[in-house]
Amino acid sequence: MKKKLLTMVLSAAMVLTMLAGCGGDQAAGASGSGESQSAGASGSGEEQPADGSGSGDSMYRVLYSSEVSSLNYLTTATTNEYQIGANVIDTLVEYDNFSNLQPGLATDWSYDEASLTWTFTLREGQKWIDHTGAPVADVTAQDFVDAMAYVLDPANNSATAGNLFGTIKNAEEYYNGLAGEEGAAKIDFSEVGVKAVDATTLQYTLANECPYFLSMLTYVCFMPAYGPQLAEQGTNFATTADTMYYCGAYYISAFEPQVQMILTKNPNNWDAEHVYIDAIQRTYNAEADTIGAEMAKRGEIDQTTLGSDIVDAWMSDPATSSMVSMQRPKIDFDYFYCFNFNVHKLNEDFYRDGMTGYSIDEKYEPQNWEIAVNNENFRQSIMHAINRTSTVYISTGDYADPANYIQNTITPAGFAVDEETGKDYTEQEAFADIVSKDFFDAAAAVSYKEAAMEELAAQGVTFPVKTLVRYNPTTTNWEEECVVLEQQLEGVLGTDYIDVIVEAGPADSFLTDVRRSSDYMLLLCNWGADYADPETWTDPFYQSANGDGTYNRGMRYAYMAYAIEDNTASADTVKEYFALVEAAKAITDDTAARYAAFAEAESYLIEHALAVPYGVTVSDFVVSRLNPWEGQYAAFGVSNLRYKGQKLYDAPVSMEEFEKSAAEHK
Amino acid sequence: MAKYLIKRIGRSFLTLALIICIVFILMRQMPIEGYFQNFDKLTDAQIQAGLKEQGLLDPMPVQIVHFFRDMFQGDFGVSHSYRVNVPVTEILKDKLPVSIKLGSLSILVAMCLGIPLGTLMARYKGKFFDKFGTLFIVFIQAVPAAVYFLFIQMYGTTLLKIPLLFNPDNWRSWILPVISMSLGNIAYYGMWLRRYMVDESNKDYVSLARAKGANGNRVMFRHIFRNAFVPMVQYLPSSFLNTVIGSIYVESLYSIPGMGGLLVTVIKDNDNNMVQAIVLLYATVGVIGLLLGDIMMTVLDPRISLGKKEGGR
Amino acid sequence: MFSFKDKLSKNLEEAAEAKVRSEAEKIAGISDRELFSFAEYDEKEAEKTGYSNYSYWGSTVRMFFKNKGAVAVLLLMLAILLFTFIQPHLPGQFDPNTVNNDPATYMAMRNVPPNETFLFGTNNIGQDLWARIWAGTRTSILIGFAVALIEAAVGITMGVLWGYLRKLDFFFTELYNVLDNIPQTIILILVAYILSPSVKTLIFAMSLTGWIGMARFIRNQILIIRDRDYNLASRCLGTPTRRLVMKNLLPYLVSVIMLRMALSVPGAIGNEVFVTYIGLGLPTSTPSLGNLIDAGRAVMMNVSQRYQLIYPTVILSIVTISFYIVGNAFSDAADPKNHK
Repeated sequence: MKKKLLTMVLSAAMVLTMLAGCGGDQAAGASGSGESQSAGASGSGEEQPADGSGSGDSMYRVLYSSEVSSLNYLTTATTNEYQIGANVIDTLVEYDNFSNLQPGLATDWSYDEASLTWTFTLREGQKWIDHTGAPVADVTAQDFVDAMAYVLDPANNSATAGNLFGTIKNAEEYYNGLAGEEGAAKIDFSEVGVKAVDATTLQYTLANECPYFLSMLTYVCFMPAYGPQLAEQGTNFATTADTMYYCGAYYISAFEPQVQMILTKNPNNWDAEHVYIDAIQRTYNAEADTIGAEMAKRGEIDQTTLGSDIVDAWMSDPATSSMVSMQRPKIDFDYFYCFNFNVHKLNEDFYRDGMTGYSIDEKYEPQNWEIAVNNENFRQSIMHAINRTSTVYISTGDYADPANYIQNTITPAGFAVDEETGKDYTEQEAFADIVSKDFFDAAAAVSYKEAAMEELAAQGVTFPVKTLVRYNPTTTNWEEECVVLEQQLEGVLGTDYIDVIVEAGPADSFLTDVRRSSDYMLLLCNWGADYADPETWTDPFYQSANGDGTYNRGMRYAYMAYAIEDNTASADTVKEYFALVEAAKAITDDTAARYAAFAEAESYLIEHALAVPYGVTVSDFVVSRLNPWEGQYAAFGVSNLRYKGQKLYDAPVSMEEFEKSAAEHK
Repeated sequence: MAKYLIKRIGRSFLTLALIICIVFILMRQMPIEGYFQNFDKLTDAQIQAGLKEQGLLDPMPVQIVHFFRDMFQGDFGVSHSYRVNVPVTEILKDKLPVSIKLGSLSILVAMCLGIPLGTLMARYKGKFFDKFGTLFIVFIQAVPAAVYFLFIQMYGTTLLKIPLLFNPDNWRSWILPVISMSLGNIAYYGMWLRRYMVDESNKDYVSLARAKGANGNRVMFRHIFRNAFVPMVQYLPSSFLNTVIGSIYVESLYSIPGMGGLLVTVIKDNDNNMVQAIVLLYATVGVIGLLLGDIMMTVLDPRISLGKKEGGR
Repeated sequence: MFSFKDKLSKNLEEAAEAKVRSEAEKIAGISDRELFSFAEYDEKEAEKTGYSNYSYWGSTVRMFFKNKGAVAVLLLMLAILLFTFIQPHLPGQFDPNTVNNDPATYMAMRNVPPNETFLFGTNNIGQDLWARIWAGTRTSILIGFAVALIEAAVGITMGVLWGYLRKLDFFFTELYNVLDNIPQTIILILVAYILSPSVKTLIFAMSLTGWIGMARFIRNQILIIRDRDYNLASRCLGTPTRRLVMKNLLPYLVSVIMLRMALSVPGAIGNEVFVTYIGLGLPTSTPSLGNLIDAGRAVMMNVSQRYQLIYPTVILSIVTISFYIVGNAFSDAADPKNHK
């Protein structure tokens, strides 16, 4: 269920910003915005961190248009809310600005031979403080245990409880027992794999070997909470600033929902010397998108996102061009087109059991699509007719290079590196053919079309094949991208072959109503990593067999397994893909072999056009007095949402400075 | 009259009850995602457990009865997604005063300017002032508020040398929001008052008064204005409500923590308890407004006799 | 389009008169057959003299055309309305939804300022603003007219019933209280859930509650007029209710009804802007003045792109203003008291 997280993140993240081009492409990013450099060259460079002058408190002011609904970091699963938890609660380990793992609340750790039992030594003298900054109690190992007990209590509805399942021993069993799930025995919490050996020694016992366990510790569900307060507040925990305690770099000194939130530096924090901004003032404004740019221009706020529609004007005006920089690219989240392999109605549990009829309105001829989508040439023709450069261009505009954000693999470049060889996962041999070419190839698309028409006509498919493309109207630029996509597909392949129908989905419950319910034919989907291993990128596609010829519904993405269950033309292709994934998952002791095997499976997926890689999220242009390269950074967890380590500059960071820092991180 | 009032008030309660039931049923037709904070990540077991716990699996009549029971104890439940687990009353308690203050101020300004505007326009019908006023009204009617509010904010703040966002402690930052909010009402009052007064001034009693030699201003204010004002009166209570609901633009632009966008937000979030409470609140104000409007009309114009209704015909 | 509205009003009026006439004939028929044959000629003469040569609609039109300014605005409005519908058929027009790519680079021509090719420039993804604005005007006007017609038709009928039939007062007041107090946003959102946002959906949702406002307005006017002396007198003479309504009440209200209708067209257009603002509007593949303005707002502070806000706003304003001025002038002209 972690997938949903990502999908939620989709809307949240787009507003929030960030993301984009994969690590390997960052240098290209620098060249892409060359035009801006001359304009931005003057006047920058003399800026000093505000704190360097010793001129007193530095206050970082931002607008936000989407209010957190809760401060409860133990239950939330939205990026928006992670940001609060990340700054007010410390984790056992954290990352520096070069993505290197660093000690956090734990100074030291070790694991046993089977690497199933992990023991952490906590930093001494850490305090819980309240919303006035007054120390309340010590941070002890028991606080981690109590917090996990809270997460695993179904009554608290924690959205991240699922992240512990399969990782922490007996977490799932304990949870299901409490939830009264059928056939689940109630077990005692002492059997769950988390234990406070003494005040400063914490021990986790894992369910399976987990090479990426440390990376998971930066997730919210591993954060501590003061036990007695949890017990006292129950579901009221962290509904307001005074119903929670803090141990991170900041504490919430004021929180008035839909008004403002003030984070004040926690002077007691172990790492306070690296917290350079004294206070963060977040002011709510529903129109932040509209007036944020003007406020940043007037210096009334210190950070805002510039939509691609106004970047042109800012960049071409010498007075403002030096104020524009970008978000640091993010590599744990990406997009790909899914073909829908299931056109039949699904029940509430997203199974076909007992359901009749089609999940797609019959006027779109779902039965026709069902045959077409299982024809590989048909999928190939679409894959090669999509010109990703022009759809991505909608978001990048002229001042960023779309090529930086396009990806030919599902796993983003820079996401996983084999530490022994230093080779990026996307440089695996299996990807050699894929990463070097542009999928868009009108000639190839047309020849696939001809092959597909011949084969499909024999199967009784009527042309043009109606292809329903859905989008969420609240997601920035998605509709525009669909408009362009329709023009491309119909332009390259011809309206005698394909009839693309673009239709808005419901803004709320988009994923439930559209993707999970199979009410689409071609859909841009997204996925975010849950841990630092390529396996996480198979989760949207892979479905395990139930042993009776049916398959687990998986992550409710494209339901590829129905191609097997229905014994369609693609049955063998999908079966082969699943087999490749299973083979890769079985390798746990040899990273190189494991990565190679996953790459094999992924390239098979792409080569047979079971899904079409699209790209990573386009980095937003921003006006910001922070240099994003100074903040903590990791491809997963909440580290990159932290203000710790960031300095507040006197003037907005220019593109030149941004790129200079980017080059240092190469 | 008293008997009529009692009956009328009783009916108002009936209206409220009807509204509550209808909205309640409508809200239950919405996707169940609104009852959970992180629906996307919940397992089916969690969802079922949550629904059960919130009493949403009970039959509809049972749910409605429970809602009324809790309501009479002042308990409107807790917010599910807007501010998780915070009592609804707590949330509204903070926001309501802000909107009332801003709304009252803007209505006051609108009345102080709109009524003279309409009167003067009617008095000088066809003259310069009428044309000028018409121009203003036309402009306000024609240009979408979403556009000119933004211009007022951007250039107004530069002019007054104040920050873009609202600061309750700085009296100058009240100016722009209040003016923005009253513009629509000024135009509205001015337009209709002029219309009614012009209609009124064509009537025989006015000609008679003039024939008697009463002077123009006296006729204008003693006769025409009084009669023209009657149909205006009933709009006053509801225009307050509309101002509060319609303050969404202004409150969003200036970061004013009022009720303006709240309803839209919670509807979009499917935060059903919040929707329920806000609708109830607005409905109460609306029903009382209708009642007041009718009573005020009766008081001002004795020819309107709602009281006779019971007699029937 | 205006003549369409005019025609509707005329239809209403004619229907009303036809009913009154048949009523009168019925009464005449039942009462005095003999007398009828006796004094046929005299009776007709008497009727005629009773009516004089005053024609209500003739005078109204004459009065309206005396107002030169209003006539000019009416012509402007008609011209815009006409152009809205012929624009797509003119040569050299772009499709409002097609993203225009630079033939050399295959990249979209975004934010192109107004020039000879793109009269109103292009928007942030390279669509022709000129085509979008006219398509948007078409959509918005369609919504406006549909809503105004539905509101007027349903509202007047219900309002008259509500105001005149005391037995129905309870029912209507209750209905009004309920409808008026369920905020329109809830209705709009619910409709958006059931049906996806579309022109039909918006019209449906806006008229679902909109008519009750007109009905209440009529009802209040009737309450004011109902017990006036001439109506009491009429009632005492045994005039049937229907005749009272048609003859004594409705003509009195025509001026205000016309004004309200003229205002509810721009009102609906404005509502569409509001609905778009709160994020429930039409998809941008169906251009409307609402979503064009909403898109323009985002770039308002960039002087070089402000045309994206100005053009749709100006068109919307012209449409609105013309309705307001024409509506006002027409209602002035329709007031019999002004017929000199």
